[in-house]
Amino acid sequence: MAVKTIKTPAVIIGGGVAGLAAAIDLSRRGLSSLVVERGPRLGGRVADFCCKATDSCVRCGACRLADLVRRVAARPEIAIYTSAKPVAAEADGDGWRLTLEPQRNNGPAPVVELAGGPLPRRSQVQAGAVILAVGATPFDPSAKSRFGYRRVPGVVSALELEGALEHSLAELAGGRDPRRVAFIQCVGSRDESLGHLYCSRVCCGFALRMARVIQARRPGTEITFFHMDVQTYGRAWAGELAEMREQMNFVRAMPGEVTAGPGGPQVVYAAGGRSQTAEFDLVVLSQGMRPPVGAAALSQLFACTRTSDGFLGSDAEPVASGAAGVFIAGSARGPMSIVESIEHGAVAAAAAAGHLQPLVREAAHA
Amino acid sequence: MPEVSLIWIEEAGLEGLDPAKAAKKAGVALSDGGLVEAAVVTTTEARAPRSLVNRLKGYPVKWLDLAAEVGGGPLALRQARAAAAVARAAGSAALGTMAQRYTRQPNQEVLVAGRGLAAVAAAHQAAALGHPVLLALETTRARAACADEKPAEVKRALAGLPAQVEVVTGTELVELLGAGGDFQARLQGPRRTSRRRFGAVVLAPPSAYAVPGDMPATAEDITLPVSRLKPKQYQGGEQWLQAAVIAPLGPGATAHGFARAVTAALALQKRPRVQVTLFLGEAKVASEGGERLYRDARRQGVLAMRVEPGGLRVSRDGRKLSFDDPVLGEPVDLRPDLVVLSEEVTGRAPAWLDNPLVTTAWDQDLPDHPRLQAGRTARSGLYLIGGARGAAPGDPRRAQAAAAAADLHGLLSGEAVAVPAVRDVLCASCLTCVRVCPHGVVCYAEDHIAPAPAACLACGVCTAECPAEAIAPPGWSNREMIASLAAGLKAAAGDKLVLFACRNSGMDAARALSLAGHQWPKGLLMVPVNCAGRVGVQLILRALSLGAGGVLVAGCHQGNCRSLNGNLRAKLRSGEAADLLAQVGGRPEQVRFMHLASNQPRALAQAVAELAQTAGEK
Ligand SMILES: Cc1cc2nc3c(=O)[nH]c(=O)nc-3n(C[C@H](O)[C@H](O)[C@H](O)COP(=O)(O)OP(=O)(O)OC[C@H]3O[C@@H](n4cnc5c(N)ncnc54)[C@H](O)[C@@H]3O)c2cc1C
Ligand code: SF4
Ligand code: SF4
Ligand code: SF4
Ligand code: SF4
Repeated sequence: MAVKTIKTPAVIIGGGVAGLAAAIDLSRRGLSSLVVERGPRLGGRVADFCCKATDSCVRCGACRLADLVRRVAARPEIAIYTSAKPVAAEADGDGWRLTLEPQRNNGPAPVVELAGGPLPRRSQVQAGAVILAVGATPFDPSAKSRFGYRRVPGVVSALELEGALEHSLAELAGGRDPRRVAFIQCVGSRDESLGHLYCSRVCCGFALRMARVIQARRPGTEITFFHMDVQTYGRAWAGELAEMREQMNFVRAMPGEVTAGPGGPQVVYAAGGRSQTAEFDLVVLSQGMRPPVGAAALSQLFACTRTSDGFLGSDAEPVASGAAGVFIAGSARGPMSIVESIEHGAVAAAAAAGHLQPLVREAAHA
Repeated sequence: MPEVSLIWIEEAGLEGLDPAKAAKKAGVALSDGGLVEAAVVTTTEARAPRSLVNRLKGYPVKWLDLAAEVGGGPLALRQARAAAAVARAAGSAALGTMAQRYTRQPNQEVLVAGRGLAAVAAAHQAAALGHPVLLALETTRARAACADEKPAEVKRALAGLPAQVEVVTGTELVELLGAGGDFQARLQGPRRTSRRRFGAVVLAPPSAYAVPGDMPATAEDITLPVSRLKPKQYQGGEQWLQAAVIAPLGPGATAHGFARAVTAALALQKRPRVQVTLFLGEAKVASEGGERLYRDARRQGVLAMRVEPGGLRVSRDGRKLSFDDPVLGEPVDLRPDLVVLSEEVTGRAPAWLDNPLVTTAWDQDLPDHPRLQAGRTARSGLYLIGGARGAAPGDPRRAQAAAAAADLHGLLSGEAVAVPAVRDVLCASCLTCVRVCPHGVVCYAEDHIAPAPAACLACGVCTAECPAEAIAPPGWSNREMIASLAAGLKAAAGDKLVLFACRNSGMDAARALSLAGHQWPKGLLMVPVNCAGRVGVQLILRALSLGAGGVLVAGCHQGNCRSLNGNLRAKLRSGEAADLLAQVGGRPEQVRFMHLASNQPRALAQAVAELAQTAGEK
């Protein structure tokens, strides 16, 4: 059977915010691209994030996805295949030859798609440059069994809370009205026992924004924030953080364990040199980011390097991969926020354009 | 008036609808593919087949995201909604306005002013994208690096600039008028001042490291900032040398500043017989490799001591540091031989930018705005990058430069929407538009109102606020919008409601609902606007007088508006309209405003349902 070959200057693996931003930036530079997304719809992780504005926008950046999708749709130079992933890749002259395989995605077809469609059949792509924008993988909190995830009722992951934020929290809390909510930070990050010697950067802000939403919707909800350090960046956060310190209970301690108590999950932690126990209705584990699940396979496929934290790319350079013509964009390169991923996508695109056009190439090395 | 044809493009969301019926109900002719005088197309320009877009070039066309407006429910209801939406679009298409693009061509030349790696990289990137570039360095070439950069790195970048970049030295930008596509700059050189026009301007003001103001004041002879520390000069003797490194303590502490402090602490700790105590507020380990570095420092023997804000006290002679040991809970004194203070990147845009008479729409603190990335400022075509925007030296500055260059290239090659039309005969020269335009597009020059050619986002804020109906981006004048409201409401069936929805939030949410089959009230007319700020008192009252039982204005959340405060203006104007309504005996609840994000479809559905209920209560 003859396999169809698609020729394109650049192929982008992953249709999250970083991949979409890279595609837009390439098209601004006059370069066409093909976005290959494994899932049934564009947007990656951000497609599941709700708005956390209370009385004003808290700059989470989630609504930027709609902008990106709209702009991608408005650019005929951007082609999109959903439900597809690369299964083979070989360097070919100055570029790459990829084999794409359709993916079966269960569940109903997405409805908010503006552009592109599922890959109909196994295809070959000939591209001058490849951008890997496959995202990071959220840490699975069950790997830290002492926090009681999936064992103690009322213990949930931050992503589960996110999913329920627009709906009802009572279900998460096992039917109890959640009036006492605790967040445990750095679950799976900054953790020597796991070998995760990095901060995931976004989870402090993520948790604090959700805490604010909860307090805004249910005034009087008691929030306890167990943490080592608060990582928030951006000048405006300084003011908000001061406000939150007044309204929430910031405890600088990493809890030892979470157990089932009579009135809800109990958190055991050390404070003032003594062991303390506090009971909550809901305990939220702020899971961090891990290198993409497919990192090993992808780095083998494209002969690219990994950072010392195991993400794709190299420590020394922001978007280079160690392989000629292959670039890394977004949280596949290391933990970064939505807005940072969008900017990083643009930087990867600039580097890819440099690879494709000699004049720009000099600029990238300047 | 031209006859309006309906061009129907089948796509998801329009299943089962009868184009002929919709056309008939809306009072337009269904196109048979022949020539048209004016057209309504059922899909957006972006999704339409290229051949159609090309064929319709030069005609008055209204592109309609019909699928987003129709929604789900029984076929009869969807059919009625489709007819009203088509009628609404046809109402203004009949007026024959074209989306005129550029009456003047945007100037393609780019000015990069300032110094440092960010400036040089931006010049290089813009040139690579085909723009002639003037790089105006405030300094000599040899001193082009900012105080916080490595001179050799900047020198190398300068040497690699392509020929399209003209470099002038000792030159400062002292005044800037205009906006994207047509800036007028005054440049002060070593010998003379010159004026030149540019399409886009990138500012990369000098940056430096500075010790934050909230650091403890220790004695001068033992105190150094990180950037002046030379660790090799220190080693202990019989007595160990006690060094205190103070990481950023205040709320403005950044991960970059923290990493530099830890690096300094580690370098000192590795010297013979030196003991370092590192004081910190929060361990800001979010920089790349920051956590490893912090761990390494402690493993090498650096004592990390957390202090609460104000918890690190200095004796009167500046030689003793006192703090509460967090483990022991007791006060502890330290008499350091050396105190190293951490620094943060600082940089400020030139002071003249803060002068509202010279530059409107300027705000230093905008970098946190989620829609103003890539060094954008609110003023379209003007970029601010480098240390003044918080970027750490090296790659972060290169990255910002690349993003800004790509953005300005998009702007100058036609991403902006249109040039607003000004009707000089009506204009009262009140300068309201100059004052309110969030993007600095409108200038007053040579005795008339002169908008810049590539900067307008067609937000319509000027149109809503102009007292004389003298300015509007093409397609968004009161005349056109009222004609379309009239036609749409006339064709709408059932209890009539109007939703003015911002394209950045409300319309995206509406689209998500429609495509998921949400059943809208039958008589709901959606009116997409580029910014809620387009909706003034007049439009709201007109919608009511034309038969709407309720009006909802959906704009972005506070702090998220692409046009800065268009959403707040809309909120204000909705309130005014409600008050006026109450004064003439109407019910103020018929006019509502809501803040919304594109990912909040459920909130929109609920607000529309509530509005329908209010309108139905009569
Ligand atoms: C728990 C958690 C909370 C967060 N909270 C916030 C927050 O509050 N604010 C914030 O700014 N950021 C937050 N983030 C970070 C945010 O999710 C990321 O910045 C953003 O999603 C990164 O976008 P991306 O495009 O790099 O990756 P992703 O969004 O992960 O997208 C990657 C895409 O690539 C696709 N893909 C993967 N492998 C393949 C393959 N082999 N072939 C084809 N396609 C593939 C995936 O299906 C996916 O669509 C959070 C992250 C986590 C895990
Ligand atoms: S940035 Fe986040 S909080 Fe702000 S409006 Fe968008 S989704 Fe809501
Ligand atoms: S962002 Fe906060 S919660 Fe996440 S790893 Fe860093 S310190 Fe821990
Ligand atoms: S607001 Fe209207 S009347 Fe006033 S200067 Fe501008 S165009 Fe003229
Ligand atoms: S429409 Fe908006 S951007 Fe354009 S001139 Fe008017 S106020 Fe400025």
